[in-house]
Amino acid sequence: MEWVYGNLQVILDGLMTGALYALIGMGMALIFGVMRIVNFAHGAFLMMGMYVTFVLYDRLHLSPYIGFLVAGGLLFVFGFLTYLLVLRPLPGQESFMVILVTMGLSLILVDASQLIFGADYHQINIPLQSTNIHLGPHIAMNAPWLVSFGIAIAMGSAMYWFVMHTMFGRAARAVAQNRYSAPLMGINVNRVQAMAFGMGAAAAGIAGALLLPLLYVFPEVGNQYRLKSFVMVVLGGMGSIQGAAMAGLVLGVVESLTSYYWGNEWAPVVDFVIFILVLSFRPSGIFGSQRA
Amino acid sequence: MSGRKAQLIFSLAVVGLGLLVPIVIRTDYMLNIVFRVFLFAGLGLAWNWVGGYSGQLSLGHAAYFGLGAYGLAMFTNRGVPMWISVLLAVLAALLFAGIIGKVSFRLRGPYFALCTIAFAEVLRLTAKNLPNVTGGDVGIQVPLLFPHATQLSFYYSAVLLTVLGIGITYWLEKSKFGYYLMAIREDEDTALSVGVNTANQKLYALLLSAAITALGGALYGSLFLYIVPDQVLPLEISTELAIVAMLGGAGTLAGPIVGALILETASEVFKNFFKEANMLIYGVLIIVVVLFLPGGIVGTLKLKETPQKLDSESGRVTVDE
Repeated sequence: MEWVYGNLQVILDGLMTGALYALIGMGMALIFGVMRIVNFAHGAFLMMGMYVTFVLYDRLHLSPYIGFLVAGGLLFVFGFLTYLLVLRPLPGQESFMVILVTMGLSLILVDASQLIFGADYHQINIPLQSTNIHLGPHIAMNAPWLVSFGIAIAMGSAMYWFVMHTMFGRAARAVAQNRYSAPLMGINVNRVQAMAFGMGAAAAGIAGALLLPLLYVFPEVGNQYRLKSFVMVVLGGMGSIQGAAMAGLVLGVVESLTSYYWGNEWAPVVDFVIFILVLSFRPSGIFGSQRA
Repeated sequence: MSGRKAQLIFSLAVVGLGLLVPIVIRTDYMLNIVFRVFLFAGLGLAWNWVGGYSGQLSLGHAAYFGLGAYGLAMFTNRGVPMWISVLLAVLAALLFAGIIGKVSFRLRGPYFALCTIAFAEVLRLTAKNLPNVTGGDVGIQVPLLFPHATQLSFYYSAVLLTVLGIGITYWLEKSKFGYYLMAIREDEDTALSVGVNTANQKLYALLLSAAITALGGALYGSLFLYIVPDQVLPLEISTELAIVAMLGGAGTLAGPIVGALILETASEVFKNFFKEANMLIYGVLIIVVVLFLPGGIVGTLKLKETPQKLDSESGRVTVDE
């Protein structure tokens, strides 16, 4: 029985992380689906969301559970402008050039936050952090994780609804299907792409905000998500946001189990090995039906 | 300076000046900067065979660089003679390049670049996680390749690496092998249809590139005497090699040399002038190069003279739609 409870606890912990991964992955999947580009600044966007929420809490005592909305809004605007100023002028938006440009952007953002906030690790203290919710005698969940999990699921669902049921969502999916025919149907591709990039950045920013009560914030905090967010896109089937969401949850659980049995340091290795295996044997992804 | 001969003359002139540098420069600090210029020129030339001429934009070259440094360190620490360790390190890089090539060359566009990153990251993280084998984050000692007159020997070795890079590139540009690679860059499907074994040609280019990169890594590691995974295996090394080649001009002979001259001196100047903000300036530099000089400096000069060569010289990759 001990073994069952242990594993159940580990899997539940993994789902908590996984919901946040799902939000990050959905943002990347939206960007990749609509634009066929890899955003290497995704981790930096997440870091920005964390710092925005941190400053709001530190200076204005605004709870991160409200602050995440501000972070999402700011990151949307930032992503929108990034698309207009940096990505749109790129000739042909070639994949490799976009990777390099977003890498450059990531360096700028990380270094800028280092200049502004210093390299120190910051943390916020909210009363919720000392609360544990007991599910039966053997399983306990830390309250901030549960709250972040809930908000992440809600935001992810909202994003899914938005892409599936609004005019923008339809236009975005049309561009994802065929970016040459979409403008013939009267879709303003540039605007859709700018919106999609903004929404993707917002998703990363919100995920960052929700991570603030759980992790330390420091300038390089987003780096581990740079490649990981694309692992979810590949696993979920290129550009499928529901696939990326599933992939995020699975990745969270896989990482949690890896950490439990082999140690924390092997979790990212397992991510990349899964990534390479999926690319080699099932490039259309595991959870998605959409083909790139 | 855009013709093939002119580029060769320019490159050899830089090497010639490089040989004279130690007469003027005496401090270890300055010599270290020119060492980096020639090391990264040589490695940029090697990256160029894969990333420039074949159009396979690898961001995983840190793997071969790190394997060179770690191979040298780990084999020597286990009692293998030093120069045989260098050879074994190169062989390890070749083996790994074979595996990476087999898997990643089937992918195109962003998937290829990301797959190469993933392989290099797996290596870096594994090196960090196995302290008993690699020394982990604590690091590992690397033997001194040249027991006498060390700084100068390292410097001349880097120059030699660049000369090797120039020689191979010059040969490549007019060889059948080189034309196969350029055909693959222009249109892989067409190259395949006219009978080029694209899979093999790409693999040969990668093997050649990995071997030279591993030599550079061994040289670099040995100069530092002590290495950690985050120093010789990070994504930053891969990016730096790509940027060196692309800043100067991917798919040109003089490109990586121009790129290394500018980037290595510039990043040193940034470090001194902007202190903590040096990565910020570096990021701006990357964006400016990609946005305004997509063909690189040499590529842009060449473009001015022969406009019809736009696509063949910018080293662009086709995205599979």
